[in-house]
Amino acid sequence: MVGPIYIIAIALGTAFSLGFFKNANRNISFSLMFLAMAFLTFISGQWLYAFLTQQQETIQIFTAGFKPPFSISLQMGFHEAVFLTMINSLGLLSAIYLFDHLREKGVNMMMVFMLLFMGLNVVVMTRDIFNLFVFLEISSIALVGLIILEKKQDAISSGFKYLIASGVISGILLIGIVATYYYSGSLYINDLISANLSLVKGGSVAVFLIMIAVILELKPFPANGWALDVYQSVNAGIGPIISGGIATASLFILYKLLPIGGDAWLLPIGITGVISFLGSNFLGIKQKSSNRILAYSSISQVGLLMIIMSLSTSLGDKFEFVFFSVLISQYLAKAGLFWIAGIINKDEIDDWNILKKSPGLIVLVGIFMFTLLGLPPFPAFYGKWELIMNLSQSGNFVWVGIILLGSLFEAIYLLRWFGKILIKQDNLEDLKIKFHKLIPVIFVSFAILLFSYLTAKWSGLIGIKYYIPFIIALLIFAFDFLPVFIKNIAAISTVAWYSYVLIYQTYIPENDILRIVFGSIFLIGAIIMLIPGFTFKGKRQGFYPLVILMFSGLAGLIEARTTFQFFFAWEIMTLASYLLIIRGKNAVKPSFNYILFSMAGAFTMFAGFGLAFAETGSISLNALADVLVYANWAYALIAIGFLVKIAAFGVHIWLPSSYAEADDDVTSMISAILIKSGVFGLIILMLSMSLKNAVSPNIPYVLGWIGAIGALIGNMMAIYQEDVKKLIAYSSIGIMGYILFALSMMSHMGWLTAFTYSIVHFLYKGLLFLAIAGVIYRTQTRNIYEMGGLIKRMPLSFISVLIGIITLAGMPPLAGFAGKWMFYNAVIMKGWYLQGAIVFFSGIVAFLYCFKLIHNIFLGPLKDNHRKLKEASIWWLIPQFILIIGIMVISVYPKIVVEPIGQYLSMYFPNDGLVWDGTTASTRLGYWDATKIMTVFAGMFGVLFIILYSMSRKTQLVEQFNIVFQGERPERPETTHYAHNMYAPYNKALGFLTAPFITSAWKFVYESIHSISDQVRKFYTGNGQTYAMHIIIYVVVFYLFINGGF
Amino acid sequence: MKILYVLFSFFIILNYGLLQTGFIRRITARVGKRIGVPFYQPYIDLVKNYAIRSQFSHGVMFYLGPVFRLSGGIGIFLFMPLIYGNEMFSNFSMSGDLILILYFMFIGMLGMALGAGEGGHPYSIIGITRGLSQFTTIEVPMTLAVISIAAQYQTLSISEIVAAQQGGFMNWTIMTNPLATAAAMLAFLGMIGYAPFNVVNAPQENPLGPPTEFHGTFLGMLQTNRVILHVIESILFMNLFFGGATNWLALIVKAFIIYFYAVFIGTVFPRFRIDQSIKWFLFIPTILGILAVIFIS
Repeated sequence: MVGPIYIIAIALGTAFSLGFFKNANRNISFSLMFLAMAFLTFISGQWLYAFLTQQQETIQIFTAGFKPPFSISLQMGFHEAVFLTMINSLGLLSAIYLFDHLREKGVNMMMVFMLLFMGLNVVVMTRDIFNLFVFLEISSIALVGLIILEKKQDAISSGFKYLIASGVISGILLIGIVATYYYSGSLYINDLISANLSLVKGGSVAVFLIMIAVILELKPFPANGWALDVYQSVNAGIGPIISGGIATASLFILYKLLPIGGDAWLLPIGITGVISFLGSNFLGIKQKSSNRILAYSSISQVGLLMIIMSLSTSLGDKFEFVFFSVLISQYLAKAGLFWIAGIINKDEIDDWNILKKSPGLIVLVGIFMFTLLGLPPFPAFYGKWELIMNLSQSGNFVWVGIILLGSLFEAIYLLRWFGKILIKQDNLEDLKIKFHKLIPVIFVSFAILLFSYLTAKWSGLIGIKYYIPFIIALLIFAFDFLPVFIKNIAAISTVAWYSYVLIYQTYIPENDILRIVFGSIFLIGAIIMLIPGFTFKGKRQGFYPLVILMFSGLAGLIEARTTFQFFFAWEIMTLASYLLIIRGKNAVKPSFNYILFSMAGAFTMFAGFGLAFAETGSISLNALADVLVYANWAYALIAIGFLVKIAAFGVHIWLPSSYAEADDDVTSMISAILIKSGVFGLIILMLSMSLKNAVSPNIPYVLGWIGAIGALIGNMMAIYQEDVKKLIAYSSIGIMGYILFALSMMSHMGWLTAFTYSIVHFLYKGLLFLAIAGVIYRTQTRNIYEMGGLIKRMPLSFISVLIGIITLAGMPPLAGFAGKWMFYNAVIMKGWYLQGAIVFFSGIVAFLYCFKLIHNIFLGPLKDNHRKLKEASIWWLIPQFILIIGIMVISVYPKIVVEPIGQYLSMYFPNDGLVWDGTTASTRLGYWDATKIMTVFAGMFGVLFIILYSMSRKTQLVEQFNIVFQGERPERPETTHYAHNMYAPYNKALGFLTAPFITSAWKFVYESIHSISDQVRKFYTGNGQTYAMHIIIYVVVFYLFINGGF
Repeated sequence: MKILYVLFSFFIILNYGLLQTGFIRRITARVGKRIGVPFYQPYIDLVKNYAIRSQFSHGVMFYLGPVFRLSGGIGIFLFMPLIYGNEMFSNFSMSGDLILILYFMFIGMLGMALGAGEGGHPYSIIGITRGLSQFTTIEVPMTLAVISIAAQYQTLSISEIVAAQQGGFMNWTIMTNPLATAAAMLAFLGMIGYAPFNVVNAPQENPLGPPTEFHGTFLGMLQTNRVILHVIESILFMNLFFGGATNWLALIVKAFIIYFYAVFIGTVFPRFRIDQSIKWFLFIPTILGILAVIFIS
């Protein structure tokens, strides 16, 4: 093996010998530098490989033939090898990326480049504190050299600021080193550690100075204005070197010197990390410059790593896992984003939609951002999971809260940025991509994927089964050039096969009704909802991998046995659905709302799982039942996550516009299927937790009220919508309110209602959205006032909508009535009369929008431009008629569905169930015989129809255009639609109920966060002296804090 | 056999309804110092409408609308027990309970609205909007009252509710649960649709609402429905609040008095606008309903 000392020798030798090539061809000098960098990478990689595979021992290298403290010693251990490999490979990739830049700027730049990496290498390896100082200085000066050689004015000024700041820090460090030497008589780090300087009077000051200098090197918020300016002004190729190279090396310094400070320093470092993490992410919210956002993100991630480091003792053997999964994610993803920023060469994130020209890069940006956010399947997800679980277990709930809050802030700015990329705009400039700049980007994205796999394996939290969907998604992605037709068949057969395995082979034999019901909704629903995909032409790039991921996430929820698996599947599903929604034409803003609410919900759920783990020490889902002490908190926190998904009242504002703006078939999927994941989650949660007495009955009581109010407000809002999809979307909020209400009753009949509603809602909501989508597809409008009289043009769609609304309104004899009937029984048995009355009232209100939906689209006068409209495509109609068959079967013979569910529920709620006698179902209150009702109704209806028909055979049919018409005003056509402003008196009387006060409240929160963030960031003045002042103030405050001055 | 009894009951109810309508029209005319139509005028109207030859239709839904409407009316009748303790006149009430009856009322509403909607006349939609809006709020006190009495008697079966009220008028719901009765009886005013809640039909001043569109046989069906519905709604209230009936005479007397109460108020009071009536139903009757629910729980 090549000794680590050669790293220094080669780097230094190359740097000096480059001077001889000043006038030669720059290709030669670049090749020399490149080879040297490659060799450095090779050496460190080789050591890493040895440590990983051959149980290599840590080695010490003594220079000049003496042992320390008389000479400088270098150390090569596992950690050194990891850090060096990271730093050097970054150098290598940066060299490739900067290929033309380095050649253009000449040999001088190559020399400082080499020197910088040499400095960083030694900083990592050295065990001598003065030597460390020297090489830290070399690196800083080399970096400033790199910056100043750019010869741009703002780069030079920021380089100078950097020099001032690092000068101040070095001064502090040097004084610290002098003092340390005074007290310990050695500069050898191992000696310093064993000297326990903190205990010596005066020694603690020496330690303080060293530690504070190291902390300042990490650019903690808020004493970091100098670093932010550098990030913003340098060439995009330098950004990764600062964030991935220098920051990484600085972290290692902290790691190396931490033992000198001892355990007493863990808490201060943790708090510094918390402030950095929270503060930087908070200020990132208001930023518009991509480099500055990346700078804030880098600093916040360093903060997170400091937090992790401070928890090293409590994390125990999980420390390395957590630390490296977060570090490497951040290192790879940040480099990738910086490089892409360089390729685009636009600083404002508003201009990033130029990437639309190159969809491949968007995928890469997505991978990098989701890696930074710690979403599955990317490495930091596993790390964050272990971190939160561990923090919870050791009782650090405040820290959990802070980390999750900071992560949410980070999600805000990264995802908003991501949204900006996808905004559609015409006349984009062409994007010129140089191939050599693309190589490192692609390389790190592959590294992320590989590392994701390795982390998952290392974590041991999930089995190989969980990769299958990703492999399938990748496969479909690889074959994305195929036409939609083939991909749709592939997707349908995949889902069909999976539902066969999951439902037929697994859960039906086990008779697990809960999972059969929801598995069928998720997977069989998926098959039905994929059928309309055949109408799409072309390739529909990127759609199918996401669909597969979303449904595999849903299936994963069904299969999950641990909270981790559940959370993993939950996040996959959320992420995939977000990406599906954002594909809609104007969906950027709505999907941003969606993902933000979902992330916040997921984080509270995360915290809840953490609490559960803290008490039981197990991540099994069944263990939730054993939570006693934290039961209320855990229950409430987890429930919030589900409430967001079902758009419960208060957190519902994301839903309407997301539904409205998503592609039409996506809307059917999310509204009929995806939203049930929240219901499923609530059921799992309530089954395991509410049935025990540990959870206060007040929580379900409150949930009941939330559900009731949600039902009322959702339905009230639906009445006034002029956008068809929004109308149905608001109605979903209403129906989810019913289900939440029914579940929170915690009784047999309540749950039976909720299950029945879930099934029936799936059927009719899918039916309605599909039918409406078919209409929208033909009419090319979502505005209800631009439609009318379509019954003659689209009779089959009309039948679908008619059946859909009769079921929705709960009118007998169709299946919806089953739900209503059970509901009455449940409410009266439970004694929740007032809430129940609200829910019933909202059920009646539903009648209004149901009628509006069918009337304004299909009845009344036909629009002139719709005269030649055709019936919706057969691919929209087939799934509708499958769903109608489902509704009819349940309407005529509800027993087949309701009875097994009742038996299942009897295990949990043995009393007050439904008793079946033939086709009659009865409770102790009432009875209902769906089959007979249907027979009587059908008989009566038939007889009356025959009577009417036979008595009016000579009727003359009036054509649609042969009747009264209103004049229509083209500029605001809705005002002259003859049924415009329907229910105006209703609005006049009850309009106050639908005032958007929840929306305003959230808007207020959002805007306050933004404006506070905007005010606070003015703290960074851009003045080098002020920045130096910040550092000094920071040191003083820190000192006072450590030594109890406050 | 059952069907024959049902048809017999239907015959009685239909004729009684037609006569009642005729008499009420005459009474209201006298209040307005007019002579009024003969009491058999509804028969003449019905026969005339069914016999009209020249008819226009706007399409399938135009047919289905009246069918739905009448199905709704007859449906309520079919699932309503008429005479307490008499199996022959309990219709199909063993197949569904009070909830079914409440929800059957929607079918008629929907049918009417759909049929008129296909007509495409702008006046229809005004009438429908008014009708549906008012109807939803009528249901609020009604629902509260139903919850209250269901909680009181711990059953949703109409027969059992009637059974619980037997043994003298002190056992009637109006005595045992006056609040619920009050709320429901106020809702009843809206259901029957005389003043102050008759702007939906606006019978005199302007030709609003679905009846403008329907004519001939279609209108005949709607009229049939109207007379049945008024009687059967009175019977529903009789069953729920006034001890039901053990024979046909008691049924007719009670139903007439209940119905006449709505007529009486209708002839005395002026008319509300829709937004006023919405607010009104959600104010006093709803408060009474809430009190009834709180009182019972």
